[in-house]
Parts: sequence; C-alpha cells; structure tokens
Amino acid sequence: MARLGMLIDLSACVGCAACAVACKMENQVPAGANRLWIREREVGVFPDLTVEFRPEQCNHCENPPCVPVCPTGASYQTQDGLVQVDYNKCIACGACIAACPYDARYIDKKGGYADKCTFCSHRVAKGQQPACVETCPTYARIFGDLDDPNSEISKTLEAAGRQDVLRPDMGTRPKVIYLNAPSKKGLTQEVMES
Amino acid sequence: MTEFYGLPNTGEFWHWTNALHFVLVGLAGGMAFLAAILTLRQHPERKRYWWLAGILIALDLFVLWAESPARWRFSHIWLFFSFEPGAPIWWGAWGLSAAMAAVALLLLKQWVRLLERIPEGVLGVVMLLGSLVVLAYPGFALAVNTTRPLWNSMMLAIFPITALLMVLAIAILLGSTWAKRWEVWAAALSLGLLLAYPFTLQEAAREHLFREGLVGYALAGLLIAVAALLFRNPRWAAALGLAGAVGLRWLLVMVGQFQSPGL
Repeated sequence: MARLGMLIDLSACVGCAACAVACKMENQVPAGANRLWIREREVGVFPDLTVEFRPEQCNHCENPPCVPVCPTGASYQTQDGLVQVDYNKCIACGACIAACPYDARYIDKKGGYADKCTFCSHRVAKGQQPACVETCPTYARIFGDLDDPNSEISKTLEAAGRQDVLRPDMGTRPKVIYLNAPSKKGLTQEVMES
Repeated sequence: MTEFYGLPNTGEFWHWTNALHFVLVGLAGGMAFLAAILTLRQHPERKRYWWLAGILIALDLFVLWAESPARWRFSHIWLFFSFEPGAPIWWGAWGLSAAMAAVALLLLKQWVRLLERIPEGVLGVVMLLGSLVVLAYPGFALAVNTTRPLWNSMMLAIFPITALLMVLAIAILLGSTWAKRWEVWAAALSLGLLLAYPFTLQEAAREHLFREGLVGYALAGLLIAVAALLFRNPRWAAALGLAGAVGLRWLLVMVGQFQSPGL
C-alpha cells in the first residue's frame, strides 16, 4: 500500500496559479467552487519583507475529520490514503464541509454531491501525475508515495529544511506538506496579519 | 494583507433551509418524546400527540429531502444501508425512522386488526428511544466539528433543551395543562444555557457571535427570559418561549458556520 502525499516548496512557488487553472480545466470544477486556490500574504516589514504564496487544497489527511461524520459512507479513505467521495452515496448534507478545517470541500450543485481535490486519482491510476504537479512551471510540487523511501517525495522530504502543515493543532495529519516557508515562524496565519 | 487567486470554499454551507430543519427536527424529536411519555403513562391525550409527532417528523423528513441538492438522485437510501456510528446525521436518520415507525404503528393499530397485538408500551419505548436520539443528534451534528469554535459542547445541551421548550410551548398552546410546569423549567434552563454560552467560547468565536448575531442573540434571550418569568400567564410564556427557542436554534446554525482562525 502506498501513502500518497504532496510536497509544495514555498521557496519555489511564485503564486502564478497555473496549478489552480490546470485543476479547473482537468476536473471541470464548476464556477464559484475551487479545489485548489492560492493564498498570498506579505510577511514581515521592509526591508525584511517577503511574500508567502501558498497553494491550498484538500490535504488528504491521515486523520480526516470529514470521513467519520459522513452519514452514508460516501466520504472514505482509500488504501493509498486518499480521501475521496463516492458521488453515488453522497446526499450533499454538508457534514463533511462543516468538519473540514481547510475549506477544501464544496457542494457541486449541478451534480448534487460534495466534491473536492482528488489528487487527480483518475490520472494517478494511469501512471500520470496530478494536473497541478504536471503544470507547475517552477517544479514546486512533488507527488508520490511517502512510504517508499526511494520515491522522489521521500528523498526530497528527507533532505528538506523547514516542513510545515496547515493547522497541525487540528490533529488531522495532513499529507500536503509545505517546505521552506518564507517566514521564520512558519506558515502565516490570519492572526499574524495585523 | 491576504489575497487570493481562486477562493477557499468558505461560503455558507448550511442555508436557511437547513436552519429550518434544525427547528423542525427539534419539534419532531420533542413531540415524539412527549408522545412517548404520554403513551407510556397511558395519558388520555396521547393520540393527539401521536398525530402531532407523526406530522412533524414527516414534515422534517420532507424538508430534509426537498432541500438536499441530492434529492433527485435518491441517494438518501444509503443512510439505511450504511453503518456510520461516528456520524450524528446517521443516528438522526435512524432515530427519526424509529420514532416514525412507532407512531405509524400506534396510529394503524387503531384500525388494522393484525397490529392489535403489538403492545402499546413496546411502541412507546421505541418511540422514546428514537426521540431521545432525535433530540440529541442536532447538537452532536454541530459540536462534532471541532474546527467550528461556535459549535462547542454547549450545543449538546442547548439543542435538546430548546427542543423541549418548543414542544412544551406548543402543548400549552394546545391546552395541555400538564405542560405548564415543565415549560417554565425548560425556559429557565434554556435561559441559563444562553447566558452561559458566550463565556464558554474562544475569544475569536465570541467576537464573531456578537459581531454577526448580537441583536438576534439578545432578542432570543429576552424572549426566553420573559417566558421563564411569565409562569402565571402560560400562553404568553409559551408563545414567547417558542419564538425565542426557534430564534436561538436558527441563529446558532447560521452564525456558527465560522472557521476557527489559523489559516
């Protein structure tokens, strides 16, 4: 079994949103909903100033709060550690949206089900990379098996400096891992803005 | 300053239709609870409450289905072909079904000879258990979301108590004298919870509650407070308590869709 995850190197990300557009195109994400978006924050004060470009999406958490609250079993974890939605079982009750700390989920009103990033499982099944990874012009994203010590993702993670995840306090153990956050304090938070 | 390309999915995910359900499910569960107690006590008024419980449960189930974007995919059937004890909504589906089945059998028993042998007490117990689940699950459905700081563990008390406040108010308005004493207690308890709730919140959550819902919260509190004091005029107490409880439930569902700071 694999443990699929993704690294996003924030020292390489320029916030161009090519990943977000590629996701929209690949997955036909409806208007008004997003599987992937870029959060941009200024960090520090001149002359010690930088910008954090932070792509966000479903973290495919190892301990996903969206799964146990689903009353029909439509939200589930695959053996490879992906958090997915079985559209046939989904009743669009929104319990998973309420439970997600990352605002990663939305209701596809036309389809009548909850939806979110799938790590492009349809592409991965064919041996391809997720669309966001393939399109990234700065090679900021690496996708792969975190349990395979010989995978690029594992080697990069092992050699990496700073590693962060979003909202570690939630106990969700995200598998989207951010490398080299520009701020010495790590990933920026809303409360840091003022 | 924060800017975005695209946007996180932070919009309202439970709309006024869901808030309506949170009111209706309180009425449905509470009325089934009253009906079950009256059944077990062989109270002469019990039949009227079977009808009330049945109508309210059916209405709530209809609203749940009608407001769901999945309504024409009929995927709700999976609620009953799954085992998801970690999901409050799954419990609610079974609780409402159990209470509804008991109500339906109690009503049908009057006309269908085949059902005559089913003891009323057994159906009363089933209805009681179902109603307790229905009374409890809305609070759990909110409180389980640890990322929503307004929906803290106080929801586990506020939602069942305000549900009882609502149905006891209706019972008073329908002329059931036994409801008066309990209504005062339900109003007093609701008021106590309402006053304590802001003190149980994280600072950011409390600020959000007061910024987005101060007027509604104060109004609901005022109505319930007056209801608790008006024990000599039970009909007015009932009407005001009912309005306050409806408002409080509605407000908590709508304003509570607030992500804790940290992203």
